[in-house]
Amino acid sequence: MNEGIETGQSEKDLTNKARDTSASIRLVTLSPCHLVTLSLPRAWFYLILLSWQRQARARLTVWFALALLVLSMTIVGLQTARGRWSMDHWRAPRGVGPTFPEVIDCWTVTASTGAASPLAVGINDASLAAFRAVLDQSGFLVFSRFFVFSIFVTFLLPIWSLSFATEAMGSERDSRGLVWLLSRPLPRSAIYLAKFLALLPWSLTLTVGGFGLLCLSAGDAGALAFRLYWPAVIHATLAFSSLFYLMGALFRWSAIVAMVYTFFLEVILGNMPGYMKRISIGFYTRCMMFDAAESYGVHPPEKAGVYLPVASTTAQVILLTATVVLVGVGMAIFAHREYQDEV
Amino acid sequence: MGPTLLNYRPWRGEFHAPAWSFWPIARVALSMMFRRKLFWAIYAFGLLSFLVFFFGQYLLAWADSQAEGEYVNVMGSRLQAGTLTNQLRTVMRLNGTGETYRNFFAYQGYMVMIVLALAGTMVVGNDFQHRSLPFYLSKPLSPWHYLMGKCLAVAVFVNLMTTLPAVILFFQYRTLYSWGYLPDELSLLVGILGYGLVLTVFLSLTLVAVACWLRKTVPLIMVWTTMFFMMRPLSNTLVDGLRYDPRWRLIDLWNNTYLMGNYFLGLHPANQPEWYEAALVLALVCALCLSYLTLRIRAVEIVR
Amino acid sequence: MPELLDPADPRGGDRAVAPDRSQFTPTVAPPGPSVGIAPPLPRAFGPSLLLFEQVSKWYGPVIGVNQVTLELRPGITGLVGSNGAGKSTLMRLATGHLRPDLGKVSVCGLDAWNADAKRHVGYCPDTDAFYEEMSGRQFVEVMARLCGYSRRDARRRTEETLERVGMAGRCERKIRGYSKGMRQRIKLAQALVHEPELLVLDEPLSGIDPIGRQEFIVLFRQLAAQGKCLLVSSHELEELEKLTDHVAIMARGRIAAVGTVPQIRELLDNHPLSIRIQSDQTRALAGDLLQLPDVVGVELGERDNLTVRARNPKQFFSAFMRLVLEENYQVGHLETLDDSTHAVLEYLLGGK
Repeated sequence: MNEGIETGQSEKDLTNKARDTSASIRLVTLSPCHLVTLSLPRAWFYLILLSWQRQARARLTVWFALALLVLSMTIVGLQTARGRWSMDHWRAPRGVGPTFPEVIDCWTVTASTGAASPLAVGINDASLAAFRAVLDQSGFLVFSRFFVFSIFVTFLLPIWSLSFATEAMGSERDSRGLVWLLSRPLPRSAIYLAKFLALLPWSLTLTVGGFGLLCLSAGDAGALAFRLYWPAVIHATLAFSSLFYLMGALFRWSAIVAMVYTFFLEVILGNMPGYMKRISIGFYTRCMMFDAAESYGVHPPEKAGVYLPVASTTAQVILLTATVVLVGVGMAIFAHREYQDEV
Repeated sequence: MGPTLLNYRPWRGEFHAPAWSFWPIARVALSMMFRRKLFWAIYAFGLLSFLVFFFGQYLLAWADSQAEGEYVNVMGSRLQAGTLTNQLRTVMRLNGTGETYRNFFAYQGYMVMIVLALAGTMVVGNDFQHRSLPFYLSKPLSPWHYLMGKCLAVAVFVNLMTTLPAVILFFQYRTLYSWGYLPDELSLLVGILGYGLVLTVFLSLTLVAVACWLRKTVPLIMVWTTMFFMMRPLSNTLVDGLRYDPRWRLIDLWNNTYLMGNYFLGLHPANQPEWYEAALVLALVCALCLSYLTLRIRAVEIVR
Repeated sequence: MPELLDPADPRGGDRAVAPDRSQFTPTVAPPGPSVGIAPPLPRAFGPSLLLFEQVSKWYGPVIGVNQVTLELRPGITGLVGSNGAGKSTLMRLATGHLRPDLGKVSVCGLDAWNADAKRHVGYCPDTDAFYEEMSGRQFVEVMARLCGYSRRDARRRTEETLERVGMAGRCERKIRGYSKGMRQRIKLAQALVHEPELLVLDEPLSGIDPIGRQEFIVLFRQLAAQGKCLLVSSHELEELEKLTDHVAIMARGRIAAVGTVPQIRELLDNHPLSIRIQSDQTRALAGDLLQLPDVVGVELGERDNLTVRARNPKQFFSAFMRLVLEENYQVGHLETLDDSTHAVLEYLLGGK
């Protein structure tokens, strides 16, 4: 070997041999490693725009999300059309006795026929008026309990957040398109953050917009619910999206893992008494909602000592902190993780 | 001399009929699932309700063995044996009757849904998504064999989640207590198998059709969860809330399998449609799925 | 002179050997800079474009790249090896898609995993995944904008690059309708669009028709002439021979040989090759083998095995085949014992 240099040779040998070599060959002059027109922030903002546009590619997901919205609106609309968002059809004793309005009527008749002192009549009338007022305002309470807490927060909110958040990273991994992003001179953590920011408009539009439409279908009760609950919906969407997006970066079958999380942690553990439910996002969402609607008589389903709710501000801080922490963890993981099968 | 060095020789065995291809196709699909840790994690979660039933029955037998009126220690609490057995037998229905197994099947709904969503994308959807269908269809078998092989794999998952644990519960109860009148016991066992069969046929066909249609995980999950989760409140709204005819419950397909199961187990739930109406709806859905699959298969043949 | 790198060599490691540069300069990139895998030069000569320092990469229990040390400077270097030899892993390490478990990969003096390093790298992967819903022009422009170009600059660069790869007039359709050749051109365009100094091209010529290949070869030579460094992989040595005289042969994660193809052939002829032969007539066969002119030695082993050391493998194998046929020896098993030699043989002898 005339010009070969073995890897194991000392630095001095390498230098000497290289000098010998330089006498016989023309030394390479590298083209300068500068690309003056390139701007990292510009590339990053463009990535946000691109990712936002490419989310629309998941047409099936969008269509099914909308179909789910229409189905839910059908359920709410039918209830509204029949005036079921109130306690008017509730019976005492439950299921067998007269309806609440019938009880009031009966009470009114009884009160008017009996001879009583003016004070007693006054108290009776006041009680009746209070009872009627509660009955008139009961629509919001019934809608909150039987739709917002049981269906929207438990099922619709996670499933809508899941659909876009897992798709954001999952579709890139599935289609092996990640290679194009990872070949660009953008820090990996910045790529992760950009894609997260790009999915938020979609998720927020669907969850907050969807919630708005559902509330619209519920009439006055829904209007009040939207006015009180939209901040909780936004906070929950941020937390859910950051969690499911992180799952997309971590797991190959992120949508399935997210679904397991939704049904185990949110549906089962999230509704258990005690502290266990505090690991679920739905719990803090509900706490924000309970606090917002406290003056309308909306309370946790169990006694405070059993449900152990947290204050609205605490819930808000926890949800926002969870979002930031989950995104931060995701950025750190994405920055260090190799996607061997996807590039 | 040259040719003697060649070691090639023709295949001397006999090929089986194409119908035999069901099992190899199903076996490949099963192994694809079984080698995923995620599947085993979900399956472990899915066995939670089985364990509740299993140890519930055990606890019942143990409490029964204590003298009536005596107190027993359960997890550190003193309970009256009679109260405990009453709770387990009448409230939780761990009494070895058809209700026990019907409830078990019904509670397994969510887990079956999740496992099948995974199976749908992994076993069927991926073949379309990653274009591996030609590997199967280039063999001397018809697309129907392929589909039936996939259905067979899905059927295994369904039965692993439902029928098999239910049968284990059946035999566990009979070993903890004595066997009853044999024809009754046998009819109960047949009822369990019948419920399992209904779930197997219906879920296999539906899942394969939905996975062929949607292919991707997220849309499949949305459709699948809607079918299992959202149809229940909708039907309840219509029947319980708006006082529509109970037949409106037929839109909830999982409830239809529940009604069929009730029929097989000799039970008659109140305010529900008749079992044959549920059977008709399920048959219609199966027919729709088969029609869709036929169309898909024709499309594949044209492409070939 | 190039040298075959013997994994069994007690000196260990991959001894990357520099070819005679004076032979490369006129043939590959006239009148551009010299080409080849150069020995590590002291910093006084400026940073290298791509530097692997004792790099190893495992996929679980399987080793993808094994203690590779090499340095690339401007010019074209061919990377040849069978499937699973570690070519793609080496390229993914060079482009920062994978991180080495041991050692270090640098591009222009920067860690290849670092985002800054990617400004200097253009990567043409072997995967066939695109943003299928886009047209070729849109795709290349998107890639340019993701490098940080303004919209106007990105458009200008896209047009220039598409012109360069011969796609200027035919990239309006969506990529999903493109032929394999068109896809390869678009992949190359996105790698070139930000004018990188280092181009890592994973099988860029596969799926392209002969005319397209010729165009690509001319383009690659032009790029090399401009001072760019190209690392081009292929399964076919003949294909790379048309492009460059300088190749590195990979086998089982190691650089098995480096140099020009004629040099490697010559080296192979001089490098005694160990071959294990199983036969039930080992003694007679050993006697006959010793009569062959290229056989250096024969060693009788256990269980009807014998090990032959021979030079000039091509001549040896044809003489051996004649001997077996004429004397009717029953040969149960035959294998070369030297992995790297085996890999080189596979390519130089046409995969036989």
